[in-house]
Amino acid sequence: MKSMNANKIISVIIALISIAYIWMAYQIPQFPIPRPVDSDLFPKVLGFSLLILSILLFFDKTGISDAPAETVEGDRLPWYRRPTMKVVVTSVAIAAYALLLVPVGFVLASLSLCFGLALYYGYRNHLVNFVSSFGVVIVLYLIMTRVMEVYLPKGIIPY
Amino acid sequence: MESLTNLVYGFQIALDPMNIFYVFIGVFAGTVIGMLPGLGPISALALMIPMAFTMDPASGLILMAGVYYGAIFGGSTSSILLNAPGVAGTVATSFDGYPMAKKGLAGKALALAAYASFIGGTISVLGLMLIAPLLSQVAISFGPAEYFALMVLGLTAVVSLSDKSLIKGMIAAIFGMMVSIMGIDLQTGTERYTFNHIELLDGIDFIVVALGLFALAEVFYMLLRGGSKTQKRNIVGSLKLSRQEVKEIAMPITRSSILGFFTGVLPGAGATIGSFLGYSMEKRLARDGDTFGQGNIKGVAAPEAANNAACGGSFVPLLTLGVPGSGTTAILLGALLVMGVTPGPMMLEQRPDVFWGVIASMYIGNIFLLVLNLPLIPYFARLLDVPRPLLLSMILIFCMVGVYGMSFSVFNLFLLLGFGLIGLAMRLYGFPAAPMILALILGALMEESMRRALQISGGDWWVFIQKPISMWLLIIAFLSLFMPLFKFVYRRIRGF
Amino acid sequence: MKKNSRLLLKKRYLAPLLCAVAALLIPGFALAQSQWQPTRPVEYIAPANPGGGWDTLVRTTANVIRAENLSNQNFSPINVPGGGGAVAWAQIARDNRNPHKLFATSPPIILVPLMGNSRFNHQDFTPIARLITDYSIVLVRADSPYQTINELFAAIKANPGLSVGGGSATGSMDHIAIAGGAAAAGLPASGVNYIAFSGGGEAMIALIGNHVEATVTGAGEASAQLAGGRMRALAVSSPERLSGPLADVPTYKEQGIDYTFDIWRGVMAPKDMPKEAVAYYEDLFARMIETPTWKQARDQLGWLDAYQDGETFGKFLDEQLDQFSTVLGDMGLLRN
Repeated sequence: MKSMNANKIISVIIALISIAYIWMAYQIPQFPIPRPVDSDLFPKVLGFSLLILSILLFFDKTGISDAPAETVEGDRLPWYRRPTMKVVVTSVAIAAYALLLVPVGFVLASLSLCFGLALYYGYRNHLVNFVSSFGVVIVLYLIMTRVMEVYLPKGIIPY
Repeated sequence: MESLTNLVYGFQIALDPMNIFYVFIGVFAGTVIGMLPGLGPISALALMIPMAFTMDPASGLILMAGVYYGAIFGGSTSSILLNAPGVAGTVATSFDGYPMAKKGLAGKALALAAYASFIGGTISVLGLMLIAPLLSQVAISFGPAEYFALMVLGLTAVVSLSDKSLIKGMIAAIFGMMVSIMGIDLQTGTERYTFNHIELLDGIDFIVVALGLFALAEVFYMLLRGGSKTQKRNIVGSLKLSRQEVKEIAMPITRSSILGFFTGVLPGAGATIGSFLGYSMEKRLARDGDTFGQGNIKGVAAPEAANNAACGGSFVPLLTLGVPGSGTTAILLGALLVMGVTPGPMMLEQRPDVFWGVIASMYIGNIFLLVLNLPLIPYFARLLDVPRPLLLSMILIFCMVGVYGMSFSVFNLFLLLGFGLIGLAMRLYGFPAAPMILALILGALMEESMRRALQISGGDWWVFIQKPISMWLLIIAFLSLFMPLFKFVYRRIRGF
Repeated sequence: MKKNSRLLLKKRYLAPLLCAVAALLIPGFALAQSQWQPTRPVEYIAPANPGGGWDTLVRTTANVIRAENLSNQNFSPINVPGGGGAVAWAQIARDNRNPHKLFATSPPIILVPLMGNSRFNHQDFTPIARLITDYSIVLVRADSPYQTINELFAAIKANPGLSVGGGSATGSMDHIAIAGGAAAAGLPASGVNYIAFSGGGEAMIALIGNHVEATVTGAGEASAQLAGGRMRALAVSSPERLSGPLADVPTYKEQGIDYTFDIWRGVMAPKDMPKEAVAYYEDLFARMIETPTWKQARDQLGWLDAYQDGETFGKFLDEQLDQFSTVLGDMGLLRN
């Protein structure tokens, strides 16, 4: 019963997306020189197909949704170690990495992300963690900048 | 007979000690670059052009070609072990390669990929040697209408790739197409779905989506689901294939190699499309097709044979027509021009040393790759023995470095995160990622070639039926669509 | 040996001359020139991925500058791809005073904004030097009935559906090149049924394979193909005949159409870069093009010399803007 609800909720979301998509398709300007098929036709076809499919999904009974449920042990863990939180924290960490990559520099940002996340996921051997994080980041950095001569942001470390 | 003499001549060039050294360096560098997720051979080759100034043309092309097929060869490693495709051409390899690794068959999957790549590569070199000039005719005969039909045929695989729920598979495919047409429309210069973001003017890079949907989503999924219980120690497993297994994959590898080779010959198609076509063909032909995606050995063998064969095939338009069929071969063309060689119809007469030398070197390079990779497989596979928390954070770093190193764009890192979360949601709610990736590759090409064809024909839709190649491809597409759909409907009716 | 010493002599003679000329143009130049020097590595931006025309220009010139010891600092190539250059332009425009930033440029810096896909055009930057150029060329199959460009244009007039393939997007370089030529020949610019392919190579294959009737692409790209004998060139957009493998190809002008089209490439800097720094870089590139290393690299890459100093380049860009906006306006594609 629960999974059917999930299907229905998703189908409504998809229907809303497809309506927004169709609306945007109608905003695509017409090309001044007449074309047999202009830029807007394909998006319109896609939008309406998605709308029809979302309606079909609403009444679909075959797809068994693997609805997310916290594992039992998850409830016993402190809040910051629960599986859902791990995904949230990882996402935030990635976003922070993206924002800090240029100002802080590639080596430092990557090292902190790699080391920090492994620590957060519960890895307790700090020396191994640091050495392997550092090794991987430095090797990647050297391959990219020295061998392939691709520029990576240096940031606050001078080299 | 003539080609045998030519080949002997080619081997005289390729077996020069210096050239052997170049082949080795090329395939070695290619393998390493291929293994790093995201980073393809393109940037590596672009950066080699200044070096090419000083090189003998045959040696230069031998080296650069080695990097190219070496990268396709190496790309399978990270696809199988980390679910993070090394290059675009090995995305399909992760469909079954990664499940095999999860079952503790990492060693076998890697060995299988190596053998399949080797055979695919070798078959394509044979094809290149024997029928390259003939094949250039095939490449030429494909115009916009024929490409459209080919893309339609490719897209029918959505049906077979969405096994659990056809509706969800099709939704995923539509979503993939929606992503694929973002950016400036080539035919009109109009912006579509760019949300006034200049970063989106070129559309979204395929590899960003692939890494997000597969690698990042997998990390998220493991964080969410993979409690300590499933953390059983991964074993490398045996590298050996049983006689039964060899028999099982012999035909798929041969078929996929040939299919991949022909796909590679077509300009604009290449290794990525080749591997998908090979995978979906074998899935449909296999009696145990419904176990594809769960670690079927044919699901690793087929795309690996196809992508390496396609890589060889892409040298046909480059060497015989002097026209690059892909971004990578465009750079090879540029390098050849720098070295003073003009590829094209005259090349066979003017510079046979380059033509036959490179072909001969590919035999050697493929053997190198096999010899180089097989003994290393246990060590690569040991990667899975890395403690899980560390492994997860390493995968993340590899993906982000790959995406940033390929595009130098912070924006793409956010896109990667976005597609990672979308991929997680898709997995949790039973939407398959494979149809989305397939539609992402083929969707834009399909629309483009359709509109090109119609604009040439002045809006006459019959053009797709009037051209024989296009007509036959569409008929095959219709039949392959009709069969599973019929089965599906039949099952549904009986199910009620 | 002799040749070398002569080159050296020329180099030694030319640099002061250029400085002197520049000193007349910009008051206080000579003084400033001796003062300003880059104090850290110069960010040398290719607004595209590795491998394209911009990237090759950036890497080649950076290598020449290093090999010839022309600057006390390194020029480090940086790729900023996206939006056909628009991403890089926006980034550079934000950093408009930086004296350690340069970027490679070509016609898209005028075309992309005209099509409404970038807020910045060449007027938002400081031209430093035009370096090289290529020309546009019109190709047909070897067995095609059209012998001259005028015959092709006449056929297009009679049959507006006649398909002409090209290697860039609609409204971009190849399209402008053929539409401008057609307009100069008295046809409506929008009268060419332009089919956009994703690269000159694909457009040429479509021509050989009989899928389109003519193809317009860069002359450099086509020269290899022409040697194969499956295609003929009807016209090249250079002011005079080219040398080398394309010596047999007539220009538009020879065939009575007053039309030229340059696919130039050069170097630009942020808009408010200090004058002394601008002078420094102008002088640097003026010296660079005289070095043997550059000449060798240029010839090997098939680039044609088209040097202009910053001021001439700026005027040239304004003329280009006029030319392009006229063509795009005639086609009704102007969006800015």
